[in-house]
Order: sequence, then structure tokens, then C-alpha cells
Amino acid sequence: MAASKGQKLSGMQKQVLSLYRGFLRAARSKPAEERRQIESIVSAEFRQNSKQVDRKNFLYIEYLLRRGKKQLDQLKSPDTIGLSSVNVSSSKKQNADT
Amino acid sequence: MALRAAVLRHIRLPVQTLPAAGSRPQSQLSFLRLFSSHDDHLTKEEVIDRVLDVVKSFPKVDPSQVTPDVHFQNDLGLDSLDNVEIVMALEEEFKLEIPDKEADKIDSCNLAIEYIYNHPLAG
Repeated sequence: MAASKGQKLSGMQKQVLSLYRGFLRAARSKPAEERRQIESIVSAEFRQNSKQVDRKNFLYIEYLLRRGKKQLDQLKSPDTIGLSSVNVSSSKKQNADT
Repeated sequence: MALRAAVLRHIRLPVQTLPAAGSRPQSQLSFLRLFSSHDDHLTKEEVIDRVLDVVKSFPKVDPSQVTPDVHFQNDLGLDSLDNVEIVMALEEEFKLEIPDKEADKIDSCNLAIEYIYNHPLAG
């Protein structure tokens, strides 16, 4: 999300920021170590998406928002203590001989 | 029910006139409150200091750049996600819960200071 001078946020931008805020609020209710981890993963993911996803690709952004909301709902459950992420690189080809 | 009504009809209570309020000794002054009820509200100075401290301690911020007038994105080079993080850090510092609609508007130290100073529950 590039810094915009004169900050007129579009509806979609507001939703993204609202989701981000939701994640940070949910992280507050977790233990300190998990909270740090959640914040770092969520922060990295949002920023990566903001760089890689074309801001006009509304369909994909809406998909990400829906997915994010579901993940947030799961995170809010008191049974969930944290999250982790797995990096899948699409450029590598897996070797068949393992 | 009828018994009750019958009883009520027949009972007369003597009505006593209480002594007039003026007969109470006037020397009893009502307790004068010397402290205003807003005594525990933060001073503007305190709000400014604490807001600047929060912004300065933000890892992506250069503390030497921080003044009460700075704009988070235009002057400090932060992005809108950082903006969200700063506002949340301010929420924790002042023990507030800032609704999304207001939080989206806070994009500079000025606005943060104004909002917090005017918030009755800022602690």
C-alpha cells in the first residue's frame, strides 16, 4: 500500500486496514511470545501482498480479504494460541527422488 | 382486596408539617468542592510528551524527525499499515479503544494529540 499524499482511502483500502487492525487486536489477547510471532507474520504477509498484488485486481484482493477474515475468526478463538506460515516457492521444482 | 380498600378508607394518618427549611442553621455550608472533577484529566503537555514518545519508539521511525507536527506517512516515510500500528500503540499507551472510523483519520502527530487530549477516558 503506497503512501498516498492526502490520504483519501478507498473502501477497499479501509477494509484491508480494518482487517489488519483486527489481527493486531486479536494478537493482544494471546501470550507475549505468540503475540510477537502473529504480528510479525501478519505484518510481513500484508506488506508482501501490498507490493505484489496489483491494486486494480479487485477480485483477488476481495478473495484475500475473505480468506483473511476467516483466518482472523479462527485466530480469535481462545483455543488458538498462534499461527505459523509456510513459504512455498513457486519457482522451485521439487525433486522426485526423496 | 376489598378488605384492603376498606381498611385504607378508614385509616387516617396524621399529617405533620415539617419545620420550614429556613429554620435549619444556616451555618452549615454545603461542602465546597475545591478540586474540579476534571482534575484527573491529562494536561496537553503530558499528552504531547507521551504521544511523541510512542512515535519515537516506533522501530521504523527516526526519532530526530519527530515533532508535534509530523505527518506519519508524508514526513516519517511510513505506510498506511504502519499508521495502523502507531494508532494501536497509542491506544495501549493511553488505555483507549479507538474505533476504526476515527483511527483511519489519525495520520499525524497533531491529530493524534488532538484526539487523545479531547478523549474523556484518556489515561
